[in-house]
Amino acid sequence: MSESKPIIEFKDVTFWYGQNETEPALKNINLTIHEGDYVALLGLNGAGKTTLQLCINGVVPNNILGNFEGQVIVDGKDTLETPVREMAKIVGMVFDNPEFQLSQMSVGEEIALGMESLGYSYEEMVETIDEVLDIVGLQGLTERSPFGLSGGQQQRLSIASALAMRPKILVMDEPTSNVDPIGKEEIFQVAYELNRKRNMTVIMAEHEVEVMAQYANLVVVMHEGEIVLQGTPEEVFSNVDLLKSLGLRMPQVAAFGNELEKLGIMTLNGHYPVKLSQAVETYGRLFEKKAG
Amino acid sequence: MQGVVIPISMVPGDSIIHRINPLPKLAWAFGVLVISFATRNPLILSTLFVVGVILILVAQVGNAYLKVAMILFPISLTLIVLQSIAPAFPKPWTPIVSVGPFTIFQEGIYSGISMLLRIFAMTTWAMLMIMTSHPSDIFTSLQKIGMPYVLNFILTMTLQLLPILQNEFAVVLNAQKSRAMKGSGFGAILPSMVPVFVGAIERVQQLSISLESRAFGSSGHKTSYRRVRMTFWDILLIVLGIVFTAGMTYWIIVDKSLDWSETMVFHPAFAIGLVVFATLGFLAFVVIALRNVLQA
Repeated sequence: MSESKPIIEFKDVTFWYGQNETEPALKNINLTIHEGDYVALLGLNGAGKTTLQLCINGVVPNNILGNFEGQVIVDGKDTLETPVREMAKIVGMVFDNPEFQLSQMSVGEEIALGMESLGYSYEEMVETIDEVLDIVGLQGLTERSPFGLSGGQQQRLSIASALAMRPKILVMDEPTSNVDPIGKEEIFQVAYELNRKRNMTVIMAEHEVEVMAQYANLVVVMHEGEIVLQGTPEEVFSNVDLLKSLGLRMPQVAAFGNELEKLGIMTLNGHYPVKLSQAVETYGRLFEKKAG
Repeated sequence: MQGVVIPISMVPGDSIIHRINPLPKLAWAFGVLVISFATRNPLILSTLFVVGVILILVAQVGNAYLKVAMILFPISLTLIVLQSIAPAFPKPWTPIVSVGPFTIFQEGIYSGISMLLRIFAMTTWAMLMIMTSHPSDIFTSLQKIGMPYVLNFILTMTLQLLPILQNEFAVVLNAQKSRAMKGSGFGAILPSMVPVFVGAIERVQQLSISLESRAFGSSGHKTSYRRVRMTFWDILLIVLGIVFTAGMTYWIIVDKSLDWSETMVFHPAFAIGLVVFATLGFLAFVVIALRNVLQA
């Protein structure tokens, strides 16, 4: 996907939350994300993932004030010069707690909220609501109260509300952290389909490394406000020692390869499988060799 | 806390009153409010009240209304007690009967009864409006006639936040109980307030970022997803409501014979009976309410 054009560019971004903070929340961030990328943001709590994501639609530094240095260009727009509500048409945001994002009396009104602000016609709204509910799999719930939905449904409603403004980029900040296992699966599925079928750029901060290794084509690892690693899942998860020192987990299939290597059973030279399909192939060959 | 909250919200239904646009209902509820404050005449007030109750029955929201009335009635009884000994009337007052240091006045009983009827006339019509209209429809209609969009949002949000805060309160109370703190009574409510409000502030911060990310607060033309139909009959009802209110208010101001404060004479036994009933009724309510609060 690297042939497609860059859609998000961070150029030497440093950000301090308060005037008196000594440690910046983001340190010299340089990152280029291309159209259609699925980006996994990994890192412990407090690593700067949320702050980085809030830079993409300009909430940082336009709404959350602080010392901002550098430049963020999103779809050709400088976030410093573009109001957040303008950015809403380019960037959809989904946050970790679904309940904290909902405010309306019905699912339909919740999705319509942004469109009302932008002056969409009634017919457009009805059409869009049906369309986005279809995408997230909540058909027929238009009249239900958002607060009567399950956590997974609420989070998918948040996604639908963001999609209503037809953004090119979907930014999700730990969208599954308050959701049960079935709900998690539903959310990952929706994000995956948006990325593959609609070529939407997805940036997801998540702790589920297996899922991220499965879907993402770019993995960005953050630590104390800095990007310490970025690359394909295969590249990033070959840095076993560094990830361990940062307190991060590897996908279990990769950890398995690492253990086999330590025991001298197999030599992978850091090329650990990160997806289940790769693991079946790699370890399958090993078992065949042993059996043969 | 569940038992303390008064359930005032829409009762879903398909009655003829449910189908009326919220604006005519609002116009009539407001009209009744104006008339109720314009007069003390018990006949006018009780007629408004009775018509309101009939409409409540037509709308089939009687049960929900009764729940509110059961709380309202004992509270408004205090008006009779207070008014009977200290009427909101220009002196001199006409004493009916004296019991120890207390004197019950003719004007007091008259004024107490009027105020009670006034409260019931107003609230019945207001309940009729609230219980038969979807809140979003009310706000959308108001927005159409000039209420700011942001105010609409604040009102909607507040209605949503109340049950959430109530739930959060229950969670915090349970957490307090599980840490062997006092989990019931007034002593437990105060320490629980802090975590609930801190949580509410955090929630509002998150929500504001989320809303801003969804283009909320854009300048320029705004549209509304919720469509409220306004028929010829709705407009007619509004006009009738305005004419009725203006006519009644004019009649009340002009016709001095509607002031029955001197002609309506109460028997001393009736006066004492009423005050005793009001006192006991109110006290019983306080005792029951306190017990509910302490048990919750």
